[in-house]
Amino acid sequence: MDAIAKKGQPRTTVDPVVTEIVRNGLIATTEEMKTNLMRTAYNMIIYEALDFTVGLFDAEGNTVSIGLGLPMFIRGMSETVKAKIAHFKGDLEPGDILLTNDAYITGSHLNHMTFTVPIFHDGELVGFSCCMAHWPDVGGTLSGSTTDIYSEGLQMPIVKIYRKGVISDELVSIIKTNVRLADRAMGDFRAQVAAVKTGEKRFVEMLRKYGRDDVLSAIDAIMDQSERIARERVAAMPDGVYEAESFMDDDGITVGARVPIRVKVEIKGERMSVDLSEVSKQVGGFYNSGATAGMSCCQVAFKCLTSPLDMPINEGQFRALDIILPPGSVVSAVKPAAMRMWMTYPMTVVDTIFKAVAPAMPDQVAAGHHADLVVARVNGRKAVDNSFYIYLGGLIGGGWGAKHNGDGMNATIAMNDGDTHNGPSEQVEAKYPLLVERYTLRPDSGGAGRHRGGLGTEQVMQALNQINFSSQMDRVKCRPWGLFEGLSGQGNSVAVSRAGATEETLFPNGKAFNQVLKPGDAYILRSGGGGGYGSPLERDLDRLADDVRCGYVSRAEAEKSYGAVFTADGRIDPAATAKKRAEMRKDGLPIDEPIAETLVFPPPPVQDHSQLPQKLTEEERVAFAMNCRCCS
Amino acid sequence: MDMKTDQGRLRLSADVGGTFTDVAAFDEPTGKLMLGKTLTTHQRLVTGIETGVDKAGATFPQAQLFLHGTTVAINTILERTGAACALLTTQGFRDIYEIGRVNRPEAYNLFFQKHKPLIDRDLRFDIRERVDAQGRVLIPLDERQVLDTVAEAVKKGIKAVAILFLHSYRNPNHEKRAKEIVEKAFPDLFVTASHELSQEYREYERTSTTAANAYVGPRVRTYLGEMDRHLGETGFTGTFLVVQSTGGLFDIEEAQQSCIRMLESGPAAGVIGSKVLCDQIGLKNAIAFDMGGTTAKAGVIYQGDVLMTGGQIVGGYASGLPLQIPMIDIQEVGTGGGSIARIEAGALRVGPESAGSSPGPVCYGLGGTEPTVTDCNLVLGRLAPDRFLGGEMKLDLDGASKAIEGKIGKPLDLGTLEAADGILRVAVTKMSHMVRWVTTERGLDAGDFAMVAYGGAGPLHAAMIARELRIGKLIIPFAPGHFSAYGMLFADLRRDLVNTWFKPFADVSFDEMEALYRAMEKAGAEDLARSRDMTVGTVSLRGADMRYVGQEHAVTVDIPMELFANKDRDGIKKLFDAVHETRYGYHNADEKAEIVSLRSATVGQMKKPEREKLADGGASAEAAFRGNRKVYFSGVGLVDTPTYDRAKLTAGNRIAGPALIEEHASTTVVHPQDKVEVDTFGNLHIEIGRA
Repeated sequence: MDAIAKKGQPRTTVDPVVTEIVRNGLIATTEEMKTNLMRTAYNMIIYEALDFTVGLFDAEGNTVSIGLGLPMFIRGMSETVKAKIAHFKGDLEPGDILLTNDAYITGSHLNHMTFTVPIFHDGELVGFSCCMAHWPDVGGTLSGSTTDIYSEGLQMPIVKIYRKGVISDELVSIIKTNVRLADRAMGDFRAQVAAVKTGEKRFVEMLRKYGRDDVLSAIDAIMDQSERIARERVAAMPDGVYEAESFMDDDGITVGARVPIRVKVEIKGERMSVDLSEVSKQVGGFYNSGATAGMSCCQVAFKCLTSPLDMPINEGQFRALDIILPPGSVVSAVKPAAMRMWMTYPMTVVDTIFKAVAPAMPDQVAAGHHADLVVARVNGRKAVDNSFYIYLGGLIGGGWGAKHNGDGMNATIAMNDGDTHNGPSEQVEAKYPLLVERYTLRPDSGGAGRHRGGLGTEQVMQALNQINFSSQMDRVKCRPWGLFEGLSGQGNSVAVSRAGATEETLFPNGKAFNQVLKPGDAYILRSGGGGGYGSPLERDLDRLADDVRCGYVSRAEAEKSYGAVFTADGRIDPAATAKKRAEMRKDGLPIDEPIAETLVFPPPPVQDHSQLPQKLTEEERVAFAMNCRCCS
Repeated sequence: MDMKTDQGRLRLSADVGGTFTDVAAFDEPTGKLMLGKTLTTHQRLVTGIETGVDKAGATFPQAQLFLHGTTVAINTILERTGAACALLTTQGFRDIYEIGRVNRPEAYNLFFQKHKPLIDRDLRFDIRERVDAQGRVLIPLDERQVLDTVAEAVKKGIKAVAILFLHSYRNPNHEKRAKEIVEKAFPDLFVTASHELSQEYREYERTSTTAANAYVGPRVRTYLGEMDRHLGETGFTGTFLVVQSTGGLFDIEEAQQSCIRMLESGPAAGVIGSKVLCDQIGLKNAIAFDMGGTTAKAGVIYQGDVLMTGGQIVGGYASGLPLQIPMIDIQEVGTGGGSIARIEAGALRVGPESAGSSPGPVCYGLGGTEPTVTDCNLVLGRLAPDRFLGGEMKLDLDGASKAIEGKIGKPLDLGTLEAADGILRVAVTKMSHMVRWVTTERGLDAGDFAMVAYGGAGPLHAAMIARELRIGKLIIPFAPGHFSAYGMLFADLRRDLVNTWFKPFADVSFDEMEALYRAMEKAGAEDLARSRDMTVGTVSLRGADMRYVGQEHAVTVDIPMELFANKDRDGIKKLFDAVHETRYGYHNADEKAEIVSLRSATVGQMKKPEREKLADGGASAEAAFRGNRKVYFSGVGLVDTPTYDRAKLTAGNRIAGPALIEEHASTTVVHPQDKVEVDTFGNLHIEIGRA
């Protein structure tokens, strides 16, 4: 056995049975923390979008077990716990609860309130229980882009929000004064406190039951086991240096200026290093994220490639990974960079890492995905009682990249989020003055390939009462790429459809700020498809026929990108198709268009509804507006 | 026996599972219980049932009641062998069934597979119609389009139609009308509309429920029809009822329409059996724990009631299909007798991979090579090689030993017994987490509960799980290996209805609410009316899903009738606050609540005949003693352990651990600090000693 594998052996003699029992116990504990948080939370971003992360950490702040939550926050809590340890320099006592939302510590935006409880056993600090959750509002401007952190809301430095079990009323008062919907915020506050206390309680129970030494050495052994799994996977990868480049559309401030994402991956024996030095410098708009997020990009990609299902998520899994990330890049931004849309770029960084290593490990990667949450921010007042509301729309899911053994997933949430749920349309309509006219798959949005990219979705939302609408998405022009001759999928997009207008108002760079929608107007979100894998001219004809039958691929697209020739009765003619495919190959067809210069939208409605009829009942007006946009 | 006087004295039940068909026959005049276990005959399920009835020493003409639990519906979904169906849905929502909730539970798995709809996209159709959240019609139903669409689909060979329109829980008229049109034009199709199954919001979950019902409908309808005909041929003149996932019964007319409601009939019946047992012995809080070959399951009885849930996901959380119908809340973990132990990167893992029944554990000698939980029980002396299934099946002790030694013991540097014990302890902690989960998810503490353990493997492991969770009282019921069939005998007729009704609670009109409940109760009573002569009374239960304004997750609050009679708004709010406090650890009396859905259950109470009692035999279990055997216990080692024949135990017998109590389909392990007492119904009461 070589030196490195030996390092993976348990350091002390630990009982393998207790180790496995502790491992299952850690997973169960973080799951219980998660359940408690979700079920008690007040805001949809926690209970449906699962924009939170809970975890247990050792006394140095290393990750012992993470319950997701938010996959891209894989690094965020450990770094935050470490920052809190450094801040208090040992001044921690039982009953303390530490809080911060410092964007440059969590690496994300100010919405991420992060609570931490130090765990004590017989007077000794043995670990931390931690919970980050996204609050729907932390103050700051409601509309437009931001260009620094100060316009994004309340900044809470590292504080003791509870000191020896006693809540700090002054700090709570500062929070309440600075956020909209303070009651809701305090509901989430309580939910998070309950979650971290659950983690503390179960961890202490485990220490009592199996003994401090046994549990702590079991945790070491679990990390070592995880390390071994990851190392073995890296060792099996061919050594070499792999590079790739991709682009973001723009930062919302300098319109049309593409933002380069360049990554370099080196595999050498049992170690992988990811170098993000060539990723763009931090930008003027609010698409920056902190170094924690840059590290997360590398860890997320590493976990996907080495141990996607190994649980719990812990520090050991990443010991074989080196990260090179100088400060000041768009994923290691420094104060006062604007961070509100922190989550957008890292997803493309992860995809770009897969793109880099694809030639070395074609069976372990996927083509590019839609890489954006495709979110709508809506606020307005309800007609019934004139009450103010904030609605986070979208999260409609998009296409994922195809793989060596199959098509990409249709309508699935982007990399930033994991077990995130969209909201039922029936609930949205019951709660808000909005009407979902349509929520469908986008045919032909998946990149063509031997394996096709997954399809994006389209959601058309009619305002029943006046609303303010904003949506900032990326990867509109810089489309999700294919691999190994697979074609790019369609990009994301946003549009507004005015009642009675024959054409949609488009936002070519995907940034729609401060749109006022009158009753009858609608906003339209369209998520991109995934990239294809392998040449579409090699796609199995039965599967292509299924795609056409089910309408995932139109006949026109089947002809253009897949070389299909149809018989008079609508079947694919295999002989003629083979011939056409051979010709296309010779002519270098089909041609990929990785950067969309032209936006592809459905044709305008066939009927002309330029005049909104007068004197309609509310129901008639809604139906009329809906019919105007219904072209099928 | 004289056929004439025998007529109608038996209550028969048959639980047809994947491997075994269990039959229980209950003789009402004497209270005698007879049991039969036989292999399931997949080609013709009726054959297995007949064999089981025969083994139990009963006949169909003697029975006045035949109660049936079946896996036919769930297997049709899991095996994807259902009918070709069309889905008609609101314009703009054709893809909702495929889009689902867009979640990626396996967050780092680039090869994650989301759910696969039961109906292909080319058979999912948009229909022009629209109703809003208040139930107002925005766009009238395009009746012509309904007819034309289905006519086209029929040409493609569909056998069933599922209909889901948005907000049908507020206004089902479009669904009703569309169903009428389709049924009139195509009388041979199985047609199902969402409001008949679920009147709760969440269009994806309702679509999935309705599609699943359409998908299994034709097969279940045929199966039950054939079964009914066959029963007639055997001379059965009684009533044929089917067990639902709620543990309640429904008649076959309903069962042939709302097929999806019988999905988990077997596991549900086990929980009902546990509840009956609790009622009998005066227990209010118990966990019903069922462990078989591939999974362990747990349900909860709290304050005398079985805890229910509003739905489940069939086929696993990550890639499964949701069903939104009331059912007993049963959690499951992939740990069973067949769970395989293996080493992964130096770590010991147990399950969820299972050797199943074929090849099965190594000790079955059917070609299994991987050590399983059952192999560990054999090696540790808890199972005897020559007494398995009453000695019908010989077990290979040597093979099991070698597998554990070679695959687990040596790599981990553990002796074979230590390795077997370790595997068992890991399996037990995994099951303990699951059992704990069913209580903590509701804010309850497992330690406050007794445990009722059954299923072939339940009595082998239950004491370890109980100790892990600080449960002090464990009950191994009479006939734990046939417990689902037994439970069915005591089920009631039941109809559950839910109606989504978003309302701020402070402004709720009690009259309006009363009208909604009354409508549900009327519908429930009508369903039960066909079997009225079987019941001794009808009870209506009311509940409401409530939450604080602004929350998403609602809790179900069971509300006593008198609070409605007194229009006691504060009383209901206080009840909600209390439930919230239990479940989430806090409440706020000043905060406003809202109603999400109203729930109604109409229960047709069946006669509950008394079981015969065991003779009183005093404290000594000497008569049942059948020799000593070496058994390994954690932390103690090999102990010379007395074994007893359960069939020979009598009421009042006491046994102090360590001991094994063996019966045909199971073995109860009594640990060194534990004590057993046999009650008058033959149940084993085990007091778990504190270590």
